Amino acid sequence: MKGSRRIKIIGLFMIICLMIQLVSACGTSGESNKHKKMYVEVITKSTTSAYWKTTFAGANAAGTEYNLELSFDGPSNEEDYERQNQMIRDAIDRGVDAIVFSAIDYNANAEAINAAVEKGIKVVVIDSDVNSDLVSCRISTDNYKAGQMVGEAVLSGTEPSLQVGIVNFDKNSENGQKREKGFRDYVANNERVNIVSSINVNSTIEEAKAATIQMLKENPQINIVVTLNEWTSLGVGYAVQELKLKDKTRVVAFDSNVVSVGMLETGEVDALIVQNPYAMGYLGVEYAWMLLKGEKVKETHIDTTTTLITRENMYNPENQKVLFPFD
Amino acid sequence: MIIKDNLLKRIRERRISLSMVMTGLVVCIVLAACIIAVTIFAYYYVNSTEQNAITNSDQAVSQVENMITNYTEDISGMMEMVQQSVKKTEEERNDFFENLISIRQDVEAITVHSEEGKLLACWSDGHELKEKTGDNLSYTKLEDDNLFISAPHVQNLFKEYYPWVVTFSQRMKAEDGKILQISMDIRFSNIASYVDNVGIGAHGYCFIADKEGNIVYHPQQQLIHSGLKSEQEDKVRDYRDGSHTFSGVIYTIRTLHNCEWRIVGVSYLDELVTVKVMDMVRVILSAVVLVILTTTLAGAVLARNFSKPAKQLAAAMRRFVREAESFEFYPVKGTEEIVALSDSFGHMVLQIQELMEKVRQEEITLRKTELNALQAQINPHFLYNTLDSIAWMCEVGRTEEAIEMVNALARLFRISISKGHELITVEKELEHAECYLKIQKFRYKSQFRYEFKVSESCLGYLCNKITLQPLIENAIVHGLDMSDEGKILIEVFEEDENIVMSVCDNGIGMTEDQCEEILQKDIHHKGGIGIKNVNDRVKIYFGEQYGLTISSELDEGTKVEIRMPKILEECYER
Repeated sequence: MKGSRRIKIIGLFMIICLMIQLVSACGTSGESNKHKKMYVEVITKSTTSAYWKTTFAGANAAGTEYNLELSFDGPSNEEDYERQNQMIRDAIDRGVDAIVFSAIDYNANAEAINAAVEKGIKVVVIDSDVNSDLVSCRISTDNYKAGQMVGEAVLSGTEPSLQVGIVNFDKNSENGQKREKGFRDYVANNERVNIVSSINVNSTIEEAKAATIQMLKENPQINIVVTLNEWTSLGVGYAVQELKLKDKTRVVAFDSNVVSVGMLETGEVDALIVQNPYAMGYLGVEYAWMLLKGEKVKETHIDTTTTLITRENMYNPENQKVLFPFD
Repeated sequence: MIIKDNLLKRIRERRISLSMVMTGLVVCIVLAACIIAVTIFAYYYVNSTEQNAITNSDQAVSQVENMITNYTEDISGMMEMVQQSVKKTEEERNDFFENLISIRQDVEAITVHSEEGKLLACWSDGHELKEKTGDNLSYTKLEDDNLFISAPHVQNLFKEYYPWVVTFSQRMKAEDGKILQISMDIRFSNIASYVDNVGIGAHGYCFIADKEGNIVYHPQQQLIHSGLKSEQEDKVRDYRDGSHTFSGVIYTIRTLHNCEWRIVGVSYLDELVTVKVMDMVRVILSAVVLVILTTTLAGAVLARNFSKPAKQLAAAMRRFVREAESFEFYPVKGTEEIVALSDSFGHMVLQIQELMEKVRQEEITLRKTELNALQAQINPHFLYNTLDSIAWMCEVGRTEEAIEMVNALARLFRISISKGHELITVEKELEHAECYLKIQKFRYKSQFRYEFKVSESCLGYLCNKITLQPLIENAIVHGLDMSDEGKILIEVFEEDENIVMSVCDNGIGMTEDQCEEILQKDIHHKGGIGIKNVNDRVKIYFGEQYGLTISSELDEGTKVEIRMPKILEECYER
C-alpha cells in the first residue's frame, strides 16, 4: 500500500516535469527556427547586363523582406550553358535550399535542374524556361505576347510598305523563338508587311552588329528591323548608326540600358519593348520562399508585365521608372 | 481497467467525490481568473502598445522630416552661394562651380536657363552634354522668386548618364537685368537613403508623397510600379498630419514646411501588438496547464487524507444504520477534522447502543409490570372474598346490598381491563377506585370512611390504570388503625402543568425507611399490585420526574401522591 503510493507520487512528479519541459520547449522552438536562414541561389544567364542587375535588385528586395540568404551567379557568356550546369552542381554541393534559375538552353540545362530537384532543392524558373517537369514554378514575361507587342509597334508606323528584317538570338533559347513566333503571327495577315530576312546570331553586340550590317547591305529595301533581346538590340543600334540609316530605318528593339535609351533619344532605335526584370527577381525569390515554407503555390506560371516605350513617351513619370533603374 | 470501471460506475451512480469537486472548482476559478486577467491585460496592453507604436511611428517620421528639412535647407544655402557666384567673373564662376561639384558628390549638375527656358550654361562632373536636349527635365518654368523643389526625375542632359535627381531651382536677376533661372540637380539617392534606412517595427517603412497623394519616393517603388505592391494613396491624400489607424495599419503623416512633400510612415499593429499578446496568451496557457496539474495533484493528496477517510467514515455510518446493535467502530485516521468526526461518531455509536439497550430493558420491564398489574387485578383471593361476601349477603337476605356489590365488582373488572389500554381517563380511574372502596366497605363493615375531592377540570386527562386502587388497598390493609374509625381522603387536582392524585389516610403512619422500602421492594400482598409497580409504570410512561411521593408521620397518617403530566385523550392517541 505504502509502496504503490510512493510510486504514484513519483510518477505524478515526473509527468509534471515533462509538461514543464514541453511548455518551455514550445516557447523556444519558434525562436530557434528564426535563427536558421534559408539559402537561395540565383543563377542567371549573365551578371553584367542592366537587365540582370535589375533582376538582382528585385531578388534582393524579396530576400531582405523574407530574411533569406541570397547569392547571385551567372556565366560571363550568355551562351555558356555548360558553365550554368556547373553552377547548379556547385549549388547542390553547397546544400542550398532553393535555386532561382534562368536557363540559357531549354534542353541542355534540364538534366542539371532535375538533379537539383531530386536532391530536394526547390527550383523556380525566371525569364527563360527549361525543359523539366520538376520545376515548381515559372515566372517570366509572356514572350509570345511580347512578340505580339513588337508587331503592334511595327504596324503603328505610317509607312505604306513594311520590309522587315528580324535579328534574333540563339535558336535554342525558348524566349527568342516564342517572341519571334508572336511577332510573325501578329503580322502574318497584314499586306503591308513583308519579312525580307530573318537571322539568328550569338547574343553579343559585335556579332549582332556585324550580322545586321551584312543583312542591311544585302537587303537595302529593309525599312523595319526587329530585334529581340538586350544585346542584339545594341548590335542593331550600332549597325544603324554606322550605316547612318537612322532616319530611313525604324528599329523595334528589346529591353533597355543607358545605351539603348540614348539610341532611342537620338533615333537609331525607335521603340523598346521593356520587360520587368525587377518583378521577375522579386517574384522568383518570393515564390522560392513560399515553397520553402511549404506553402502551396496556386499558380505555377506567372506572367510579368511588358511595356512599349517610344521616343515620345519615354520621359513620362511612369516610364522613367520603367526605363531607368533606381540606384 | 479496474480504475476505469470504478470511474464509470461512479459516474453512473452520479456520485462525485470531494476531491473531484475541489479539483473542478480550483480549475474553474483559475480559468476564470486567467480569462479575466488576460482580457484586462490584453485590453490595456493592446492600448498601450498601440500608443507606443504610434509614438514610435511619429518619432521615425519626424526624424525623416528633420533630416530632409535639414538637407533641403543645406541645399538652399548652397543655392544662395551659387547665385552670388553667377554674378562674378566667368573665371571665378567656373572655378567655384567646378570645386563645388567635385566636393559635393550629391550635386549632379548646375544649369543656368534664360527666362525662355534656353540652356545658357551647364556645369557637371565631366559628363558630356547631349547635342540635342529636347525635353529638358531639369527645367520647369517658374512664376515667382521662391525656391522650387521638383519631384524626383531622371536627368537627361548627358550622354549615357541618367541619374535620378531632384531639381532645386530659383529665379535671379543678372547684372544686365535679365532674369536667369538657376537649377541644381541633386542626386536623389541621398534623400532616398534617409527614407530607406528608417524602419518602424519589423516591417514598417516610410515613403514620400506629394499633396495629391502621388508617391514621390517609396523604398519599394519598383514593386509598386511593377504592380506587385500597392499603397493606400487616397488615404495619404485624405488624412491630415498626425497618426491615423486604419484596419491594423498606422499611417503617420507629416508635411515638410519648405516643399510640397509629405512624409508618410506606415507600420503594422499586427506585428507589434498581436504577436506579443499571443506570446502572453501562450505563457498564461502554460500557467493554466501547470495549475491544472497542481490541483490534480492536490486533489489526489486531499483524496488520500480527507476524501478517502471521509468515505470510510460514511461507509461505517451506513453499516451502523444497517446493523446498529452488532456494529463495532474502528476509528478512522486522516486530517484533524476527520479525526474529530471519527471520535464524535464513535462516542455517538456507544451512546446510541447504550440507549438502545436501556430502551430494550425498559420495554421488558414495562411488559412485565403490565402483566403483573393485569394478573394482580384478577387476584383470586380478592375475588373469592368478595364473592363470599355477596353469597353471605344473599343468604341473610340483604339482596339490595348484594346487587350493589355485584354491580361494583363488575364495574371494577370492566375498568381494569379497559380493552387492554394502559391509560384511561382520570374519571374512569376514580370510578374504579370508588367501586373498590364500596366493595371493601361492605367487607370491613364500615370501619372506615372515605371521601373524594376532585377538581372537575381534571376528569378528562389520562392516567395509568389501577394506580389509585393499590394505594387505597395499602391504606386500608396497612395504614388504618382498625380500632379508630379510619378515614381515607382521595384528592385529584391540577398543579402547574401536572395532575396530582393523592391518597391520604389517618392511620398508623410509616417511618422514612418504610416509605423508601415501599417504593423499592416489590411487595406482593396476597398477589395484589405493589406500590412500586404503580411508581414504575408512571415513570416508564411519563418520565423520571413523575411518579409517587410518600409523606408519612407515625400515628398521624400517610399521604401518597401520584404526579403525572396533563395528557388529553386525543393527544395521546396521536
